Amino acid sequence: MNSTMGDLRLPRALHAGAWWLWALGLATAASRTTNPVLLLLLIAAAAYVVAARRGSEPWSRSFVAFLKLGLLVLGIRVGIHMLFVSSPGGSTVLFRLPELTLPEWAAGIKVGGPVTLEATMLALYDGLRLAAILACIGAANALADARRLLRSVPGALYEVGVALVVAMTFAPRLVEDAGRIRRAHQLRGRRLRGVRLISRIGKPVLEGSLERSLDLAAAMDSRGFGRAAAIHPRYRRSSGPLVLTGLIGICIGMYGLLNGGVASGVGPVGLGVGLVLAVSGFVLGGRGSLRTRYRPDPWRLPEWLVVGSGAVVAASFIVAAVRGDPGMDVMVVPLIVPGIPLLAAAGALAALLPAWASPPPPRMATEAPS
Amino acid sequence: MIIFDRVSVQYDGAATPVLRDVDVHVAEGELCLVVGQTGTGKSTLLRTVNGLVPHFTGGTVTGRVLVDGRDTREHRPRDLADVVGFVGQDPRAGVVAEIVEDELAFGMEWLGLPPDVMRRRVEETLDLLGLADVRRRAITTLSGGQRQRVAIGAALIAHPRILVLDEPTSALDPQAAEDVLAALHRLVHDLGTTVLLAEHRLERVVQYADHIVHLPGSGSAVAGEPAAIMETAPVAPPVVELGRLAGWSPLPLSVRDARRAAAPLRERLVELEPARVPHVASAAADDVWRARPRSRGRATPVHATVDDGPAPPHAPARPAHGTRSRLAGGARSRLARLLRRRTRHAAGSLPGDETLCSISELAVQYGETVALRDVSLDVRAGEIVAVMGRNGAGKSSLLAAAVGMVTPAAGQIRTGGIDPRNNDPATVIRVAGLVPQDPADLLYADSTGAECLTADRDAGVPEGSCRALLHELAPDITDGRHPRDLSEGQRLALALAVVLVARPPLVLLDEPTRGLDYAAKQRLAIIIRRLAADGHAVVLATHDVELVAELATRVVVVADGELVADGPTADVVVGSPVFAPQVAKILAPQSWLTVSEVEAALHSPSAPTP
Amino acid sequence: MIMNTKRSMRTTSVHDHRGEGDGGGRHVGAVAMPLGPRSATAVALVSILGVVAFTWPLYIDADAALARSSDAPWLFAALLPLLLLIVLAQLAEGTMDAKSVALLGVLSAVGTGLRVLGGGGGGIEPVFFLFVLAGRALGPGFGFVLGQLTLLTSALITGGVGPWLPFQMLAASWIALFAGMLPPLRGRAEIWMLAAYGALSGLVYGLLINMWFWPFLAHTGSDISFVPGDPLSDNAARYLGFVLATSLGWDLMRAVFTTVLCLVAGSTVLTSLRRAARRARFDLR
Repeated sequence: MNSTMGDLRLPRALHAGAWWLWALGLATAASRTTNPVLLLLLIAAAAYVVAARRGSEPWSRSFVAFLKLGLLVLGIRVGIHMLFVSSPGGSTVLFRLPELTLPEWAAGIKVGGPVTLEATMLALYDGLRLAAILACIGAANALADARRLLRSVPGALYEVGVALVVAMTFAPRLVEDAGRIRRAHQLRGRRLRGVRLISRIGKPVLEGSLERSLDLAAAMDSRGFGRAAAIHPRYRRSSGPLVLTGLIGICIGMYGLLNGGVASGVGPVGLGVGLVLAVSGFVLGGRGSLRTRYRPDPWRLPEWLVVGSGAVVAASFIVAAVRGDPGMDVMVVPLIVPGIPLLAAAGALAALLPAWASPPPPRMATEAPS
Repeated sequence: MIIFDRVSVQYDGAATPVLRDVDVHVAEGELCLVVGQTGTGKSTLLRTVNGLVPHFTGGTVTGRVLVDGRDTREHRPRDLADVVGFVGQDPRAGVVAEIVEDELAFGMEWLGLPPDVMRRRVEETLDLLGLADVRRRAITTLSGGQRQRVAIGAALIAHPRILVLDEPTSALDPQAAEDVLAALHRLVHDLGTTVLLAEHRLERVVQYADHIVHLPGSGSAVAGEPAAIMETAPVAPPVVELGRLAGWSPLPLSVRDARRAAAPLRERLVELEPARVPHVASAAADDVWRARPRSRGRATPVHATVDDGPAPPHAPARPAHGTRSRLAGGARSRLARLLRRRTRHAAGSLPGDETLCSISELAVQYGETVALRDVSLDVRAGEIVAVMGRNGAGKSSLLAAAVGMVTPAAGQIRTGGIDPRNNDPATVIRVAGLVPQDPADLLYADSTGAECLTADRDAGVPEGSCRALLHELAPDITDGRHPRDLSEGQRLALALAVVLVARPPLVLLDEPTRGLDYAAKQRLAIIIRRLAADGHAVVLATHDVELVAELATRVVVVADGELVADGPTADVVVGSPVFAPQVAKILAPQSWLTVSEVEAALHSPSAPTP
Repeated sequence: MIMNTKRSMRTTSVHDHRGEGDGGGRHVGAVAMPLGPRSATAVALVSILGVVAFTWPLYIDADAALARSSDAPWLFAALLPLLLLIVLAQLAEGTMDAKSVALLGVLSAVGTGLRVLGGGGGGIEPVFFLFVLAGRALGPGFGFVLGQLTLLTSALITGGVGPWLPFQMLAASWIALFAGMLPPLRGRAEIWMLAAYGALSGLVYGLLINMWFWPFLAHTGSDISFVPGDPLSDNAARYLGFVLATSLGWDLMRAVFTTVLCLVAGSTVLTSLRRAARRARFDLR
């Protein structure tokens, strides 16, 4: 019990994968309903958890950015609906936009016309659903440390992970370099603007970094990079064909799903079997390596609780939608105030669990107290 | 431990081999120092040890290199990672991870060590190198010395029996270099690691070496006892040069040994005075080198009071005793010969005590950090001012402020009579020129020739001016060379030519000696003296105490953004444990700074015969 | 500007000549991450699936399983990341040595820097220029991975990982992939070809990404949303309407900008990249 409490109370960074799974659970839930109350409830829950558990890193601010993006999407969606729906449903006409019919080469698209309350509300609900999904993803961006996620990439992607780490370490330095070189131009008595500025600064930055990449490669090689990559030939032999067969399976499945003339089983089965084959090939490709991992991020009780919370939210919404609980899909004709389905509402509240069931983030994750 | 068995290396497309028939054995537990000038193959020799040459760089290697019994022809660098740890020249370039701990662990993941062993080794390495309190810091936030120690730790963590380091202290300030060397010393003495290192700054490392491999430049290598090699090596630290001058035997390599041997020398010198180089002098200044005549109306010079009182208008800024030093004389004659052809006139008065840059109560702020506060400084024509201090103390900010590259948070700057911040860059380069820390920043053309043409156009001078200047600074650079293929010294010369072509009276150099060997440094010293003699003022930010001792007329020490010392070189550096040059340490309490001063004094007529 | 182009070309050719002298003149063949038959097949299959993931609204059948619910875009958004991981692992196997990893990391960082600095406002997206030239200079396999990693890095750094990311990654890697497959012209002709390709790719990228947003933004029933079962031409016309209404201006700006960059700085940057590839001595496999 003591160790459990310690798990929950002692500050540490929660596994980045757990946050993403939780957020995807919430996003799945949001995609099952158009009820604005439920959607706002989900956004609020995500916001509360972000406020309670985000760190102090730059990306922690991305939740707000995603909220703004959601508003933008909402606006575009409503705007398109007003402009381009020539005969909207509903009888409550709000106002009338001047009508315009585009020429035949543009498929005779009609612009403008009457704008009804019902149609606008429909666009609004739909846009809100997108905004809620974006908010959930924004929460994951704000909560999960991408660098830590890279530490848990599967074995087959280890090299790609290293390249990403290198890129993320290098990028800020390049911005510094660019500033330095820009100032150096001043030292030669120039002020540059526009395209010339980009090319004049870009070239030395590019050449400098290309040069450094060679030094870096030498350093990596000297430290043993690539040494233990030798994978058991049996794994390697089986992984490639598995992946290719799987991909072909997915292609067949996709054809089945998009083409109405094919027997209904082909799509899902092809897709499912293909995915299983390809993923198992992918997993096999990373097996058998002699490489080890330094301090892998632990996956303990809090991680399970956070993922569980996301799963509960998703499950409650899916069940409610499948059962057809009233209020999951909001009617606009006639326009009524939506009711609140109890199961889904209770599920949405479960999204709040990580605010208590996860350890607080360490303050100043990358700096020691000095 | 390391056996070079008739090793020759020739790169693809090169006319001659870099190394030829190198036959050297490095025994276990030794600290072996590789010395030689730039381009003699030091880096190549080091890189053959873990197979980077030829597996990584290409080229042909004949003979063989045996490392702990393994032949590098059959083992790639990654296969040797558990035997040889390699630390490259630029510690920044080799960083893979973001956090110190991850960076250390990176190599071990590939060796397939079990997690508990990895964990233990990281802790041990953190302690060994004194990095425990920065373990979670991002590497970009570390100081140069810490970063270098992280790089060493990353190489060391696989428990290699050999550690190879390419210029580990070149970019460090004296204190950070001490830290790194202390760590290496500990490795050799406590763990029995074999260390092979190349270094330009011999004054820092030569006393630690058990063995020296000297590369004279012909491709061959001479190995031997440090004292024996140092008797004749053309690259030598001041302590060795002083020892040679005084005829001490055995040749002392450390300040401590030299002090013990120096008592008789101190006795002889006690009656004598150092003959310091007068930096404001003489006629025959060439047109190319002369500062632009300051005739524009608004550029009225500010005659501010200087620290050591107003100088009489007819006298040089510093009292000059005796003769010019041997080296400065030689320098002048050589350059004068080069320049004579172009001399058109040598008229005009010399701007002896003109203030070229006047900074008062300057403060500079970057975000939350205050880089400089309340700094006042006047620089007059003919002065060579050295700005010293730790990395990050504010040296670069001071230089940048003088040319208007940073906006002061408070205070006044007048450079050449104008405020550099409120003037067009094209105007500012005519009053002050700055060569930044990495001279390559200034260069972006595809060839040296194109670079020079662009510089002429930028400065608005006739085509060919920059090219002529460059020829005088570094005659061996051809037009077709790519600036990035030049050596550090050549690159610096090119950047200097690009800056000087606008003929700014004030020249600022940020860390000019990084990566320069003794010969290149000597050439730089000649150039700087020449500039000062012709009425320029030169300000250099540097860690190189030996260069400062030899060159600077005045030293300014910056610490934590404040100016803590400002005065004639001898007054500031003699007695300082960090900034004193080796000669000063050996001959303290007398105030001698360089070997050439001592030599000139000994040869002067007033010297007592021993 | 034309003056400048001329000048940079002249100096470049001098430099190239020198490079051939000491580098053994292996200009053409040096390819960073060669595509073996197996990885080429994987790239082809994933690209087919990728094309479907972008363009399905144009030709989906009215009675198809996916047309019946509104989940189709989400299915693709979930499927594509998996496919990308799988194809990356296939490409990485056996070809990613320290040099490729370091060069990939550094160039992705450069691309990220360009994205952050360019900001994307008004179509100023210099990163496309990098994709075109890197794919050209370092080969299709390298380009394919570089395109993906660059967009992933910038999303991770700015905290902008969203459902659109896999689609952007795939579209970007196509740009670099096909740039690596262009005919082997040299000199001026090559720059013009790359400029034209840059314009085309800037435009196509915009069209593809918009196609992904289409089902989300344009509600069923509007005159610019797709109708399952309608002929391809009708849906395409409606899509054109959607593009006109939303982002065609930006896409055109991006195309023009990329072209201008290719013409102004193309040859110098190409030289730098080739020089790096030569110095890294990527094996010819």
